[in-house]
Amino acid sequence: MASKRSDTAAVGRRGFLKGAALSGAAAITAGEAKAVPVEAPKKASAAYPGPLQLAADTERPNADPATQTSSGGDFMTDVLQSAGIDYLFMMCASSFRGLHEAVLNHGGNKPEIIVCVHEEIAAAMAHGYYKIDGKPQAMICHATVGLQHAAMAIYNAWCDRVPMLAMVGNILEEDKRLPGAEWNHSAVDPGALIRDFTKWDDQPANLQHFAESTVRAVRIAQTPPMAPVFISVDAELQENPIEDREKLKIPKLSLPLPAMGEMGALREVAKMLTNAENPVVVVDRLARTPAAMPLLVELAEALQCAIIDVGGRMNFPSQHPLNHSGRARAAIAQADVIVGIEATDLWGLINAHSDRIVRSNRPIYKPTAKLATIGNREMLIKANDQDFGRYQPVDLAISGDGEASLPYLTEQVKKLIDDGRKSALAERGKKLAAAHASMIDAALSNATIGWDASPITSARMCAEVYAQIKDDDWSLVGTSVGLAWPRLLWDMKKPHNWNGGSGGGGVGYNAPASLGAALANKKHGRLTVSFQGDGDFMMCPGTLWTAAHHKIPLLYVMNNNRAWHQEFMYLQAMAGRHQRGARNTRIGTTITDPNIDYANLARSFGVYGEGPISDPKELGPALKRALAVVRNGEPALIDVVTDPR
Amino acid sequence: MSHIKTSMLAAALIAAAFSGAPARADGDPVKGKATFLAVGCFECHGRSGQGGRMNYPAPPLAQLQLPPESLAAFLREGRNDMPPYVASQVSDADVADIHAFLQTLPGPTDPKKIPLLAR
Repeated sequence: MASKRSDTAAVGRRGFLKGAALSGAAAITAGEAKAVPVEAPKKASAAYPGPLQLAADTERPNADPATQTSSGGDFMTDVLQSAGIDYLFMMCASSFRGLHEAVLNHGGNKPEIIVCVHEEIAAAMAHGYYKIDGKPQAMICHATVGLQHAAMAIYNAWCDRVPMLAMVGNILEEDKRLPGAEWNHSAVDPGALIRDFTKWDDQPANLQHFAESTVRAVRIAQTPPMAPVFISVDAELQENPIEDREKLKIPKLSLPLPAMGEMGALREVAKMLTNAENPVVVVDRLARTPAAMPLLVELAEALQCAIIDVGGRMNFPSQHPLNHSGRARAAIAQADVIVGIEATDLWGLINAHSDRIVRSNRPIYKPTAKLATIGNREMLIKANDQDFGRYQPVDLAISGDGEASLPYLTEQVKKLIDDGRKSALAERGKKLAAAHASMIDAALSNATIGWDASPITSARMCAEVYAQIKDDDWSLVGTSVGLAWPRLLWDMKKPHNWNGGSGGGGVGYNAPASLGAALANKKHGRLTVSFQGDGDFMMCPGTLWTAAHHKIPLLYVMNNNRAWHQEFMYLQAMAGRHQRGARNTRIGTTITDPNIDYANLARSFGVYGEGPISDPKELGPALKRALAVVRNGEPALIDVVTDPR
Repeated sequence: MSHIKTSMLAAALIAAAFSGAPARADGDPVKGKATFLAVGCFECHGRSGQGGRMNYPAPPLAQLQLPPESLAAFLREGRNDMPPYVASQVSDADVADIHAFLQTLPGPTDPKKIPLLAR
């Protein structure tokens, strides 16, 4: 491996610096020791400082040339482009300066650099981007100090089974590191920091190795079950000349087709569903592509069965009469067959749990109910982090991709339904439609309570936003307000109308992941809106600068309840259990005294900001003004002071 | 969400039958509001009693259709996420005040009369 950091060079630089320092010290000492009358400076002669001194100041050892005509970073840029990476989310760092410079000056800023002010923002933006675009992107940061910042967002992506290419710059060879920071920022095995929640990682030893491992990583990340992958990129490889470009080959990226479940087992599930009196299909991270929603609608309508969409992806139209997500417990309790398709936590959904002293639980489902699962979640589980949830016994478990299995499952269901059965199913469909309508009516009625109250209710806030965007091609991204109102009352019927939750529940996801999603929506001209929790926002407020810098249109509606409210409620529960201090629980759980001025904060980052808005009558006009900014291609933030729930 | 209201009502009535809590219908709504906010009822049920959710839905309380003693029984041994409030935290007099306050909160109205909710 060629090296710019030769021992000769290091000695030369050290010698030069040492000499310079000693000269300076000598000059000061001489000045202090002897008072010399001040003279007018002499005019410099042509000989000053002299050719020997000039040479000593400027010449480099022959073994450490100053320029080069190619760099490993150029080749790496070619590899990233070839692997389909369009964006490189990053905060600059010297350990990948070689690649950074190459992307700009060799690649013409392709992949396009999205500048982030925190590594967590970079990883979360890649997460959010994928969940709209369906294409993994890359982020890069320092090894050690940068990767530890990014780790939380990578963990969210892992729990959410979202692919991304996470990279770090690292100086692998210890004799190539300069003193100080380069030692603090290097690691023998950076991937160890995040190996518990990445699918695969490597630290390539040469450029050909980089090409093959990067293409392999992108392929592994997108092979269901999907997840983040990681490449540690040696700084020497990035920066130094390529010895022989002709010898380097970039492998073609070929993605395997997702594997469907075993056909005999799927036929068995089709029989279970068709013969059931009250079948229920539970879905969570089902939709990999926009094709999934119509496939699930086709299955649901063939069976006239209830669908419970847990919401990890946009799986099923919110206003479809067979969508019973808002009455999941009632539907589960009546079911004689429950089929989970990519249902991440089936146990959590079909059992009731008590957050009391013994944390007891009991099944909601009938003891006689038959259970089956289709999905690939269990094909990628690691031991340490417990994101896999509690084990749920089932009668038939099928390994295979849910979306890939849907066409065959539906085909088999249709084959089993004769004309006599169709009329019975139609009757069931009518009852389900009536239950769905009752659910919506109850939600609408509840939404009226406190309609004109201040602080503003979450129902009013959501209704005001929807009224302003419903005629656009809109996309609601992020996780705040629990999404209860939008998922009940908004007409979500396009794959990009909603992009699921954070995965790991790591606070700090919403602001940057929403921005990543908005970037993906930008090229389609969609109007992106995100309800933004105040507690979440304060983790990564610098996200707003990236939004302004890259002119990413997005409306943040700050759901400002001035608390980490979930924790507020949990602390209240704890005080109740211990029979004391019910009036103390705002300490440590609320964000007041002083109240944060989010609109001003937004303006300081170059983002349009309005608020705080406490009067519900002022909200509609403020939203209209902010949306005009967003429709004009720029971000905006409206700070809405809301009631807790 | 009507099934939630129904189950809450049933649970509270059953509990009330065994609690022996004194019935009071003369609560002070001003004091009730202060207590409702101070002891954290609003955290899950909202300042307008509009309801919300924690792990489970927290039912709306505006215009609560329960007598004070049933509300007291529910507070003492709440279900699901509901924190238990013993008498040293929320006295029976406090419960009566909260109950009176809840009666002052406007309950649901016809959504068709609100343009943003009309369908």
